[in-house]
Amino acid sequence: MSDVQASRSRRLRLGGASLHKLSAVATLVLLIVAFSFTSPAFFSVNNGLTVLLQTAVIGLLAIGMTMVIITGGIDLSVGSVLALSGVVTGLAIKAGMPVIPGMGLGIVTGAACGAINGLIITKMRITPFVATLGMMMIARGLALQLTGAAPISRLGDSFGQLGNGSFFRVVEMQANGFPKVIFPGIPYPAVLLLVVALLGAYILSRRQIGRHILSVGSHEEAARLSGVNVTRTKVWAYTASGALAGLAGMVLMSRLVTVQPNEGVMYELDAIAAAVIGGASLMGGVGSISGSMIGAFIIGVLRNGLNMAGTSAFIQQIIIGIVVIGAVYIDQIRNRN
Amino acid sequence: MFDTPAPPTPLVEMSRISKRFGGLHAVTDVSLDLYPGEVVGVLGHNGAGKSCLMRILSGAMTASDGQITVGGKPVTLNSPQDARNCGIETIYQTLALANHLDAAANLFLGRELKTRFGNLDDARMFAHAQEALRQLNPHFTNLKDPVSRLSGGQRQVIAIARAIYFQAKVLIMDEPTAALGPSETAMVADLTLRLKAEGIGIFLISHDMHDVFDLCDRVMVMNKGRNVGSFRIEDVNKDDILSLIIKGTLPDDWTPRGGK
Repeated sequence: MSDVQASRSRRLRLGGASLHKLSAVATLVLLIVAFSFTSPAFFSVNNGLTVLLQTAVIGLLAIGMTMVIITGGIDLSVGSVLALSGVVTGLAIKAGMPVIPGMGLGIVTGAACGAINGLIITKMRITPFVATLGMMMIARGLALQLTGAAPISRLGDSFGQLGNGSFFRVVEMQANGFPKVIFPGIPYPAVLLLVVALLGAYILSRRQIGRHILSVGSHEEAARLSGVNVTRTKVWAYTASGALAGLAGMVLMSRLVTVQPNEGVMYELDAIAAAVIGGASLMGGVGSISGSMIGAFIIGVLRNGLNMAGTSAFIQQIIIGIVVIGAVYIDQIRNRN
Repeated sequence: MFDTPAPPTPLVEMSRISKRFGGLHAVTDVSLDLYPGEVVGVLGHNGAGKSCLMRILSGAMTASDGQITVGGKPVTLNSPQDARNCGIETIYQTLALANHLDAAANLFLGRELKTRFGNLDDARMFAHAQEALRQLNPHFTNLKDPVSRLSGGQRQVIAIARAIYFQAKVLIMDEPTAALGPSETAMVADLTLRLKAEGIGIFLISHDMHDVFDLCDRVMVMNKGRNVGSFRIEDVNKDDILSLIIKGTLPDDWTPRGGK
């Protein structure tokens, strides 16, 4: 009898979070089918890899954002932190630091910004919205001040490796002396996104800190009374978000082979949208990395498909805005049941 | 009659505890002790300071003044974790459950079992939770649902299981039956007596006079943050206690009732 009950409850559970994820996947497939009709070039290996590349940055931000949103917070600073991390790396490389330690320094910068966010929120008891809004302006201001608002270029070929390199690239020399790309290869950023997403999902579901993140978002006072160190958990989540913003900054700047202090404006909103479309609740306690990745790809495909179809950037904003409101509305209906 | 000789050291001794919030005196100069195998009722109006006093003992709040000793040793309880490390477990009136997590995750929240590699050992936590919950309620089957889907009684069972699973020496029960039906209330009463027989000391906060007279060995009544009377239960009757709760004093003609 208990088996019957157990299987019934398992089926019931499928009705909640899994249904949302399923509908998100369905949306993604629907978008891909629709864009394949509107633009013949959309459904091709090349364009698929382009989408992967374009989504990598938003995807990395969305992983950190998901953790923060699950704690019941929000991180508005990731776009600016991304730029500041890039600037620090650019300046370090210009000062003679090799590329890899330079990029490490950039990621550490991002993590430091995130840790400061977490400390402001927990120690000064300032709401996440205000604290990270402040950090958004501070980091952007620092990035612009440090560079005089000018891009840093000529950082060397190796700086561009992370963003432009790929695995399994097959190039054939033609008789006329021009190379012909047979398979463009799987871009490094896409592989990096996959690795980080798997790591994030593992931490969230299999590690103590992940369980604590969920519990803090679910009921903060209950978590505290149960002996969860709420301060440490929140600082951890914001630090992770900051570090991933730094990593996303490395990918983006490397792809451009130039550090742009005004890159990444409004990226936080794409990351939040990805998490929310993927089923994360802004009330906290609910969310998953896999869902957020689906959300990131919905936004990536939407942007790419609309571009290919020649839709203006302004119309794109309108459409993505509607999609976000729609996703939150569906989430609310789901929670009401 | 309870004439068992009291052991020399109490499990817990709270002496001259005060708690102030700015100008508000929530608890003023309250002393209270608890011996093994004893149930002490902490009574009073809403806002009389009893919950505040218990929150100080459970580490959820720190006292402004006073000292707490556990097993004869002075301790500082700055967090719920500190109190748990001293063997003090609490069943909160709000239950303090994380609604999105399942029963096992809640039972082990803050004290998760881990595998050799530091991963969460969900299988082992589930098995232990199943056993602990079945002991309290044989009909508990839907362990894998988030606790927000469970009934009030089931949620209460999880909160109780969490407190007793980790071998508490001192148990604080804050209105443990307020949200329960009659059969579940009887279950909690049975459990209280069983734990008492095992030598656990229990502080019981309750508004239910039946519970108090059925379960408690001693009572302490608070009024406006002060201890207005500590008695063995057989020395007082319901009217005396109500008078203490409401007026803060005993009836004028009061003498120890001597187990009426």
